[in-house]
Amino acid sequence: MDNIFAVILLATLRMATPLILTTTGAVFSVRAGVSEIGCEGMMIAGAFFGVLGSYLSGNAWVGVLAGVFFGMLFALLHGVLHVIFKVNQTISGMSVNLLAAAIAPLLIKLIWHTNSLTGNVASISSLEQSFLKEIPLIGGFLSQLNLFFYLAILFAVSGWFYIFKTKSGLRMRTVGENPLAASTLGINVIAYKLTGTAICGVLSGLGGVYLSLGQLSQYVDGMTAGRGYMAMVINTFGHYNPIGAIVGSLFFGFFDALQIIFQSSNIPSQFLMMLPYLVTLLVVVFGLKNTRQPAGVGKHHDA
Amino acid sequence: MGTQFNKLKSNPMIRKTGFSCFALFLSLLCGAVIIGYSGYSPINIYKVIFVDTLSSKSGIMLALSQATPLMFTGMAFAIAYKVKIINLGEEGQLHCGAMAAAIVGAYIPNLPHLPHVFMALVAGAVAGGMIGLLTGVLKIHFGASEIITSLLLNSIIVYITSYLCNGPLKPLDSSSPQTPFINESARLTRLVPKTQLTTAILIAIAIAVLLHLLMSKLTLGYEMKAVGLNLNAANVHGISIARIYLFTMILSSAIAGLCGSTLVLGVNGRYVEDISLNYGFAGISVAALASYEPLAVPITAIIFGILKAGAFTVDRTTNIPVELVSVVQAFVVVFIAAPKLTEFILGIFNNIPGMKQKTGGC
Repeated sequence: MDNIFAVILLATLRMATPLILTTTGAVFSVRAGVSEIGCEGMMIAGAFFGVLGSYLSGNAWVGVLAGVFFGMLFALLHGVLHVIFKVNQTISGMSVNLLAAAIAPLLIKLIWHTNSLTGNVASISSLEQSFLKEIPLIGGFLSQLNLFFYLAILFAVSGWFYIFKTKSGLRMRTVGENPLAASTLGINVIAYKLTGTAICGVLSGLGGVYLSLGQLSQYVDGMTAGRGYMAMVINTFGHYNPIGAIVGSLFFGFFDALQIIFQSSNIPSQFLMMLPYLVTLLVVVFGLKNTRQPAGVGKHHDA
Repeated sequence: MGTQFNKLKSNPMIRKTGFSCFALFLSLLCGAVIIGYSGYSPINIYKVIFVDTLSSKSGIMLALSQATPLMFTGMAFAIAYKVKIINLGEEGQLHCGAMAAAIVGAYIPNLPHLPHVFMALVAGAVAGGMIGLLTGVLKIHFGASEIITSLLLNSIIVYITSYLCNGPLKPLDSSSPQTPFINESARLTRLVPKTQLTTAILIAIAIAVLLHLLMSKLTLGYEMKAVGLNLNAANVHGISIARIYLFTMILSSAIAGLCGSTLVLGVNGRYVEDISLNYGFAGISVAALASYEPLAVPITAIIFGILKAGAFTVDRTTNIPVELVSVVQAFVVVFIAAPKLTEFILGIFNNIPGMKQKTGGC
């Protein structure tokens, strides 16, 4: 791996992994008509409770399950507040973000007695010793990617198949476009909205778990670094389509990866770290002209 | 007796107050679960937080000085919410204002006290307001969601100010990222010696009154309310939505910027990287608890100030960390945002046998 292109490609794919997972989740949420602003909190929940699960059980896979479960729990908080208790979706999404961001440091202090980072726990092992290495030519490259990357692609593709090729997916899109019409057709609007939000939580939680247990073996405060918000932009950028989510995540992952590559240069690190956000902002301002959110996002079928 | 009670309940002010109190109670209850989990008695801890803080002069001063930044960010969020704008960019606006005030405070020499303070405060408000202007222009002319742009601008601004205080503005003799100390002439006057309670709190209360007058007496305030209540109706009546949006964004973010100035001029005396202890997002809780009424924000800010001041004591004497406050604050947003949820919980209470009491349409 002394080839610079291979290094950039590898870093891009690694940085894109959590974005693909979270954005695919966000696609489900928005297609079912619920805003995806809580993704950041769901990622934090996934990242933190993943580490906590792994710490308590000593098994990284239990951690993954815990992260996914709590990601879903926080998503359902957002979903239930918005869908059943009719809260403004931005406020309910933000309350999930605030709650997750507040609970993690509190529990870190209570359990590890440290400030803002946990101890090391069992993490997901790399694939470097797996069968992938035996594949000729590209085997060495493929085995350096995390298992989560393959999972992300799998989930995105199957998510695309579900949303656009199945009857149930069509119903979910109907709920997102026009909940009243969907309700008239006898579709259980609330169930679809909550399912979409829950799937968003599962995948965002998995995206968070990748950051804490896939890339590292601990949780550090602020490690999600606004990726949940970036997923919102990628979601729009990719026209609320999981395949678009892959493409968009690779684009943003590339800018995330650039900062690693330029780390040894003279450019102040703050500007490198700022780059992904700046690019995202420019895309929001100039690049999202022709995209349209599903018409029913934030609407209730009985109001 | 019963009719009087019902009359009281139909008064919207009292309803809102009662509702806020109940939401706060539920949030403190959630905090109590965490305290209980950590192995302490919630009643004792809350007694330390509220009673002990309020029974000493230094405790009250600490609570008030902790409340001051929350008043600013709370009002900034509340006034934008009146127009149904959700200003999530306060954190960035605060940093931007703080940096501007730190530069004006430190690099303009030989100025009398009042003009210097005034200039530094205005610099912060203008710097914050510019961010609001940018967010507003991006929304109006490019259709970019202000929620996403302000969250992204938060990160961008914090990286820029972090660069400034790590590089060009860092004094040679300092090892941590910060700007030089501001001149003595730019410091806010302390109301009580040896505390962090400065004239900032008076500025905050003055702004609360001004915002209240704006909303209740001026045409502009009426138009803002109209846009917030019904965009289409306001448009039909010839109110320029773009003008109101832009004005509100600038006003809201100028207040957030002012919060940054007062932190530099009154508390830290310089810009430091972690100058905002999450004040921007805490403003959401403060505003929500005040039902987005600017005049009520100072009161709810003081409630959170007491909570914070008490939590410092608890943090020192027990294992319960000060982060407990942020959790309670987050729960406040949940419970306030969901009147139907709170009604639902009240409904459970009403349905408990023995407590069954018809309380009318709540």
